[in-house]
Amino acid sequence: MNNEQLDFEQPDVPSVNCQTPNSLEMLLHRMTNRIRQSLELSVILAGVTDEVRAFLGTDRVKVYQFEPSSSGEVVAESLEEKKLPSLLGQHFPAEDIPLEIRQLYRTKRERTIVNVASRQIGMSSLPEDDDRDHIQFRTVDPCHAEYLTAMGVQSSLVVPIMDEDHLWGLLVSHHSSPRIVTPRELEVVQLVADQTSIAIAQSNLLESTRLQAQQEASINRVGKFLHSMTQMQLQQALKQTVLALKGSGGRVYLAPSNSESMAQLYISGEQPVLLPGEVKQKLSLTMPMEKHPDWQAWLQKTMQTDHVIQPWAIAKLDANLLPSSLDRAFRPTKIKSILTIQLEYRQKQLGYLSIFRQGIDLETIWAKRPDFNDPRNQVALQSFEIWREIKLNQAFPWTEREIELAQILGSHFAIAIYQYQLYQQVNALNTSLEQRVQERTAELERTNQELVQVISDRLKTRADLERVSHQNELILNSAGEGIYGLDLKGRITFINPAAAQILGYDVKELQNQPMQEIVNHSTAEGIVYPWSKNPIYQTIQTGKVHHVTNEIFTHKDKSSFPVEYVSTPILEKEQIVGAVVIFKDITERQIIDRMKDEFVSVVSHELRTPLTSIRSSISLLSSGRIDPQSPKSQRLIEIAQDNSNRLVRLINDILDLERIKSGKVTMLKSSCNAADVMNDAVEIVQSIADKAGIKIAVEPLSVELWIDRDRIIQTLTNLLSNAIKFSSPQTTVTLDARLQNDDTVRFQVQDCGRGIPPEHLETVFDRFQQVDASDSRDRGGTGLGLAICRSIVQQHGGQIWVESSLGKGSRFCFVLPIRDQ
Amino acid sequence: MNQKILIIDDDDDVREATQICLEITGDWEIITASSGQEGLIKAIAEQPNLILLDVMMPVMDGLETFSELQANFVTRSIPVILLTAKAQPAELKSFTQLQVFDVITKPYDPFNLADRVAQVLS
Repeated sequence: MNNEQLDFEQPDVPSVNCQTPNSLEMLLHRMTNRIRQSLELSVILAGVTDEVRAFLGTDRVKVYQFEPSSSGEVVAESLEEKKLPSLLGQHFPAEDIPLEIRQLYRTKRERTIVNVASRQIGMSSLPEDDDRDHIQFRTVDPCHAEYLTAMGVQSSLVVPIMDEDHLWGLLVSHHSSPRIVTPRELEVVQLVADQTSIAIAQSNLLESTRLQAQQEASINRVGKFLHSMTQMQLQQALKQTVLALKGSGGRVYLAPSNSESMAQLYISGEQPVLLPGEVKQKLSLTMPMEKHPDWQAWLQKTMQTDHVIQPWAIAKLDANLLPSSLDRAFRPTKIKSILTIQLEYRQKQLGYLSIFRQGIDLETIWAKRPDFNDPRNQVALQSFEIWREIKLNQAFPWTEREIELAQILGSHFAIAIYQYQLYQQVNALNTSLEQRVQERTAELERTNQELVQVISDRLKTRADLERVSHQNELILNSAGEGIYGLDLKGRITFINPAAAQILGYDVKELQNQPMQEIVNHSTAEGIVYPWSKNPIYQTIQTGKVHHVTNEIFTHKDKSSFPVEYVSTPILEKEQIVGAVVIFKDITERQIIDRMKDEFVSVVSHELRTPLTSIRSSISLLSSGRIDPQSPKSQRLIEIAQDNSNRLVRLINDILDLERIKSGKVTMLKSSCNAADVMNDAVEIVQSIADKAGIKIAVEPLSVELWIDRDRIIQTLTNLLSNAIKFSSPQTTVTLDARLQNDDTVRFQVQDCGRGIPPEHLETVFDRFQQVDASDSRDRGGTGLGLAICRSIVQQHGGQIWVESSLGKGSRFCFVLPIRDQ
Repeated sequence: MNQKILIIDDDDDVREATQICLEITGDWEIITASSGQEGLIKAIAEQPNLILLDVMMPVMDGLETFSELQANFVTRSIPVILLTAKAQPAELKSFTQLQVFDVITKPYDPFNLADRVAQVLS
């Protein structure tokens, strides 16, 4: 084709468009508005073609869009169908518009006007600024003319449509008959093309925004499934990812996060098949494709460029890019493209996200069948018969935007998986922790129970010990006997309060003190023991138990007292470690013993004395040495009789007293009048009083008493007898009674005798405690009368005492309760 | 001159029976006293050859009387036989430790007493 540019005059052919400039402005304005009414490119382009055809009045106006392969497709068309066939959707090979022409379109914004009939072609570069359009005509290339003719076109106008500096397409007007294009029309069409460029830019922007929105929506959809922390829905996220990337399938491979976990594989849609012989070893689920050594090695090699991990996008698998071992997995499938993103977060490789695409069947409608073997292919073909070209299983390449989307989604996957693994680890740790806590708790509970048992046992033992100790302490503290322990040196190791009290010390004073020095331990005769001779020392030395009843300890106040003690060795593991001494102050016991001895002695005396007289008398009488008729003999008989009677009285009184005191004689109480009792007693002793020349004055009190009548009479008789015995002749003994406090009666027996010394007032009621025993015996007493009186009064709940002054007489008094107590 | 025997006993019957026994047994002069004080006075005044001394008497008992006898130069050498109704071993032991000639426990056989008196006086 000759591209020489020539200036031609505007041919003299009629112009279809006869509109005035004003109407052209309006037209342009309307067209511009229509273009701008929509953002949808197809609508805009349809509007452009309609308006331009309406403006130019030509048979066809089309918009032709270049494809990446430089071929093109009619994407919009306005047609007068009766004149020209439709070309909409038809493709034209790149060769139909030579490269140099396309460059002119792009660089010079060259417009072409072809008039096939005149074989002229007008070329007009886009004028700068306000320059008008200049069209230069020259002879059209014959091929070009032939091409147009074959299409049934006699007149054409082509205006390039730019997308910034990129030749986007062409706005083409075809007319089936010759037609002149005026510069004005060209200018208008150029303006329309310019507006179309703007609309395309806007549409691209819209498309870009839409894609961006779609991507974001996809990311959101996937993210929704990924970032549900508690339950990451990886399967759903994968499914959404496959959809977003227009895949036929996909998978997520998660490498084991630690030595104890296993790899995980999530799949969605079509997957690479597993080849026979490798099912069990390599590509089974337990050995996922991603773990295949060939995959690993090859992937690392191809993904890592300049240490930056790039997505691995294979548009066309059959290009022998894969190792054969892996290629076999894909070959039986329809998978044609692979996009693999390495999932990595914080330098930790987590796994891979892979999306697969099937091949697609492409159908292209060509305006004519290209015949590359035809030499005429070098020029435009004559035939414009439609030819459908169908290409099966064609790769569907990954766009940069898709790869970018895949990367973003991969990042989301990586973050989510990382977080999920962390979450799982935390959960595992929590579970492990809970289990450990449970185990530890159980262990602690066991230990606690054991501890409680031990403590319980110890507490029990301690309580037992304390109880025993307390009991021992109580025993020691409660013991009336003094108890102390000594070590081998005779020092006090313990001492009970009784011992300290007996010795006149505080317990604290005696701790660790040498006992021998404290108590000045002496023999019964009062000779202080040297420690080496001390019986207690002997116990410590030999282990012999000593029971001593009559030795002497010394009180803190230096007074001494008799003690009875037992010293016993303290043995520990069969070794003597000291001695324990139990002792008591036997002063009182000795007094009592003495009193007992004295009593026995007195009783012995009182019994033996009359017996002596009896025995002597009988012996003398029975010896035959005394004349039975002699006065001596008579006297001896009297002595024997008197002393026999005395002995009987004595024995009776002793037995009577003991019976009353021991309670063996019950007081037979009944209601008695005191006056009657008093009179009866006086009557009994009246003869004795008369004999002694004593007058008895009685002042009876008539009051009812609850008493043992005979015993009270016995008491009164004893007192009256005593009074008579110790009263001088011609004196008076008085018996009276008086009421006291309405509940007791006081009896009094008063004499005018010699009286009782003050020191005897307390003891005169004791047994054999007469002021003068021989005096008493002379008067027929036994020495037990007052003791018997006291016992009888006490058995009635009363009291008895004596008031006396020497030389003036005595008053024996006793009170009895009126009512029984 | 008959030997004198002083009987000191507060019990009239014992004193009388003992006196009768001694009188019919030997040729002795019997002097009696009914108390320790009286016995001391008679011992000093009469200088008896033997004193039969009752132990248990009111006011001044036999031991006290013996002590007084021993304390007096004119009576200290007079042999004393204690007559006692206190017959417990401890008592008897304490009596025998005294410088008495003998201790005879009541009730005694009067002729055994007389024999003992005779031994002393012989």
